[in-house]
Amino acid sequence: MDLETYQSTLARLLTTAWLLPLCGFVIEIFAGWWSNRRSKAAAYLAVFCIATGFVCSLTALLYWGEKTEWAAFAGHAAGHGEAGAEHAAGAHDGAHANAAHHAAAGAAAHATPAYPLAVSGTHYVLVQFGRLRVAIDYYIDSLTLAMFTMVTLIASLIHVFAIGYMGDELTDDHEDHEVHTSHGHLHRPGRYYRFFAYLSLFSFSMLGLVLAGNVFLVFVFWELVGICSYFLIGFYTERRSACLAANKAFIMNRVGDFGFLIGLMILWTWFGTFQFAERTEDGQTTPGLFQMLRTPEGEILRLNTQSGQRVVLVDSHGDPLLDPTTREPKTVPYLLLVAAGMGIFAGCIGKSAQFPLQTWLPDAMEGPTPVSALVHSATMVAAGVYLTGRFYPMFMPEVLLAIAYVGCITLFLAATIAVVATDIKRVLAYSTISQLGYMMLGLGVGAWGAGLFHLITHAFFKSLMFLCSGAVIYGCHHVQEMPRMGGLRRKMPITAYTMLVGVIAICGLAIPWPTVFGEKIAFSGYHSKDAIVAAALTFAQLNPKHILLFLLPLVGAGITAFYMFRLWFYTFAGTPRDEHVYEHAHEAPAVMWIPLVVLSLFAAFCAVGGEEGPLFKLLLNSEPAGVAAGRESAVPGGISIPGHAAVAANHVAAGVDALIVAGLGAFLAYVFYGVRWLNPAEVKNQFAGLHRFLIEKWRFDELYDVMFTRPVHIIARWCTWIDRTVFDGLLHAAARLALDVARWDRKFDEGVVDGLVNKVGDLTFATGRSFRVIQTGRLRQYVMFIVVGVIVIGVAGILFVTQLRAG
Amino acid sequence: MEIVKSALEPLFSLIHAGSVWAFVLATIGAAVAVVLSQNVVRMAFWLIIALGSTAGLFFALDADFLGAAQLLVYVGGTLVLLVFGVMLTASGPFMQMKTSPGEGVLAGFIGFSLLGLLATSVCTVAWDPHGAVAPIAAAGYNPAEEGNTTRALGMSLLGLRPDKDLGQENARPGTGYLLPFEVASVHLLVVLVGAAYLARAKRRQAPPAL
Amino acid sequence: MPAVELDVYLFVAAVLFVCGAVCMATKRNAIGVLMGVELVLNGANLNFVAFARYTALGLDGQVIALFVIVLAAAEAAVALAIALSFYNNHLTIDVDRGNELHG
Repeated sequence: MDLETYQSTLARLLTTAWLLPLCGFVIEIFAGWWSNRRSKAAAYLAVFCIATGFVCSLTALLYWGEKTEWAAFAGHAAGHGEAGAEHAAGAHDGAHANAAHHAAAGAAAHATPAYPLAVSGTHYVLVQFGRLRVAIDYYIDSLTLAMFTMVTLIASLIHVFAIGYMGDELTDDHEDHEVHTSHGHLHRPGRYYRFFAYLSLFSFSMLGLVLAGNVFLVFVFWELVGICSYFLIGFYTERRSACLAANKAFIMNRVGDFGFLIGLMILWTWFGTFQFAERTEDGQTTPGLFQMLRTPEGEILRLNTQSGQRVVLVDSHGDPLLDPTTREPKTVPYLLLVAAGMGIFAGCIGKSAQFPLQTWLPDAMEGPTPVSALVHSATMVAAGVYLTGRFYPMFMPEVLLAIAYVGCITLFLAATIAVVATDIKRVLAYSTISQLGYMMLGLGVGAWGAGLFHLITHAFFKSLMFLCSGAVIYGCHHVQEMPRMGGLRRKMPITAYTMLVGVIAICGLAIPWPTVFGEKIAFSGYHSKDAIVAAALTFAQLNPKHILLFLLPLVGAGITAFYMFRLWFYTFAGTPRDEHVYEHAHEAPAVMWIPLVVLSLFAAFCAVGGEEGPLFKLLLNSEPAGVAAGRESAVPGGISIPGHAAVAANHVAAGVDALIVAGLGAFLAYVFYGVRWLNPAEVKNQFAGLHRFLIEKWRFDELYDVMFTRPVHIIARWCTWIDRTVFDGLLHAAARLALDVARWDRKFDEGVVDGLVNKVGDLTFATGRSFRVIQTGRLRQYVMFIVVGVIVIGVAGILFVTQLRAG
Repeated sequence: MEIVKSALEPLFSLIHAGSVWAFVLATIGAAVAVVLSQNVVRMAFWLIIALGSTAGLFFALDADFLGAAQLLVYVGGTLVLLVFGVMLTASGPFMQMKTSPGEGVLAGFIGFSLLGLLATSVCTVAWDPHGAVAPIAAAGYNPAEEGNTTRALGMSLLGLRPDKDLGQENARPGTGYLLPFEVASVHLLVVLVGAAYLARAKRRQAPPAL
Repeated sequence: MPAVELDVYLFVAAVLFVCGAVCMATKRNAIGVLMGVELVLNGANLNFVAFARYTALGLDGQVIALFVIVLAAAEAAVALAIALSFYNNHLTIDVDRGNELHG
């Protein structure tokens, strides 16, 4: 069967890409002892694994495109609007065509493809308790393929970069300048191989998260990437700050994951499955999670009952699912669906460092810079956005609004803090939070494609910028403070100009009008951010109450341009501020700058064509049904979600707005830090209060301190007091009582019991002593005794018998 | 011939009774002599007499195999062993270890008491005499031409009881002495090894070299 | 008809038994003590055989007597070995010298 070959080929390619890093991890960890501390074997192994994974992913992507006759790229965006209804019929031929919701909206406009655009299946069933089925499922659609290719590519480049960056760990005696002990700096063996082992484990977990075909497995890998992040943030475990940051990241993620778990429970209880896609087993078809909730057109069937609004569950054809016993349609309370959506989004908030759990990400910069690039900007934190995208059909309009607001607040908050940050990595960290906020906003306002589009482009340019900052830190011998840099572009030109590519990309600067080959002259960020801003504008037009959802991102775009150019000018332009640092700065070696160049190419051109380009269309292929059409609120004042057509109409206006604001921000940065017409210090003094407020990160750490830490301390103190006075008092009294009882017992024991035993012993001893005389040890006497005894017994016996006879 | 046999019958029984009485007297006398003699070699001699005449009593009691075994094992085996013991242990062949007269008197007194007790029991208890004569004759297991008791004893050691099982309806076989026989065999082996171990020549430690 | 009654045999056995016992009690020579033991065993044997002849005990008495003879032979062997060992340790055969078990 060609179809089966197609499915298994895709699954095997991606599974290979997924499991190779695990093999690498196992070998690196368990065979670490044969490679000595100066060996780069572990690094080469890790690079081999992840690079092979990239090749597999790319092969899978091309194979998929080839087999589906590039249907995903051929469709026209205008076709989306009415595509939903048509494709549902086509997506279901073939036993494995479980493509109901994520199926090809674009492709459906044309002929029905011979091969389904999304495939799913099961590798292995772990356990099955009644209805609860935990399996290693896979689900492959265009989003999976795009994520796989992106993650493996970026991870490969970062692995290569890390070969050079972590070079100072290649020693038996590594001196950590950040840790002071009583004997000076801390000395410890290098941990080169361990770093790469962690990276491999992380790659495995991240790929598993993307490949997972059920939400339970997603949760498993969700936690695995969490623990990898913990390991990597705390890589310099001797540094107190690193330990605290690792703990903070882990605990903050736990808060979010709590919500995730609640969401999982609700889903399990009401839907009875964790699967994303439809599964046919023994002739019985179980619809996937999203299929149950929405008709193939993406509609939610609501039902008003006395106990409140409920949602009818449907099968893949849109017919209501019947309860096997009562033969009535299965329904789910609407409120519970909102709660489940909120819970799962809470997990995404934690993982993607969104407001109000955003504080861990800047602290996570304690980890080595390649980690920041891979884990804390490009992939792991993007997992939250990815999951939000995957669960999109699950989110009710209220949840979407919450997502939009969370993203909106986050992007503004983080952008403002980034303006005043001086540590080069922290600026990038806040920028990451801010950009993640954009993605969430995009998803929240209904621009599903735009949000994930930004996820991919951001991954490229943010990992590029982090690696550049890594190269700067490496070149400046672990100086991270921007005020000590300046003019570095003369010392490290490659780093400086690749960084500039990243900066322009994230700011969304472009030259829209003179087009080249019919394309605007623009880097990737321009396209993706434009799409989000356009969607936000349309949303604000449809729902005038929520105008803030457009204004804040717009202002945020300006701030982004400002702080990113501020960073670039601060670091690379102007005159050196610290001669010592400048003197010793040097360009990174080739193993580090080659990844920079490759990434800068991707950062510049991965989104070429914008919303008509291949990447966007590839992603849009997986768009849930119904998103393209948008949704009009049934009740006045309700939440309306814009469709593609409405957004497309606003695209030019929003693009111009965003470009103007971004240009303003960049110009302002140039004024302050490029030509220095204005002195930033004066502005800082004028707005000292605001500055301190921003420096203290909007006082979130203090707020959490007051809200959670202090009350816990106070309660703990009460508990201590109760413990000390009440419980200890009781315990002491009990102990004293026991002591008294024991004293009495001792007297009784010594006097009565021991006395009795001693008496018996003495008696026995005396008896024995008196009998001792008889024991002469003479054989003949013993014989005599025996004979005498026999006589005595015999005589007694005879007498007794005689007596009996007589009596 | 039959006539001669019946004529001589009283004479045979007289000789038989006489010989029994002679063995009785010899046994008692030799046993007392063992007690009274002080020389160990003489004691051994009187013991031979006592055991031999006991064998004679066994013959008189129709236990011909036992009598033969008594002669072979005791007189031929055990006593030779005893004499070996005497030769190996005595510092001189006529060494004497006198018992004090007081002890002798005491032992005699106690001995007579015990004898009195036993004699009393012998006399007072009704021993059911002749109880076994009839079954033996009925079973016919013990004819002189079949070696008297030898065959029966051998079969009982192999687990059969000719005097009880043979010719009886519904007899339950297996009341013989096969297991004790085996146990006794092993016992003899153990004793052999044990005796050899106990009596082995002790290797004295060489005096420390100067 | 047997010429001699059961009582006579029992009496002879009793005499043998008593002589053996007295022999054990009076002889200081260990070999003498052993001879006493043999006498005692013979007395018992005589009892068994006599009962086998005159009572319902039957062949059992003879079999037991046979075992007693066998065991007596074994006993004699071990006892003589003990006597030799005793002699080796004490350089005498006088049982009165062996009073290590004196309490």
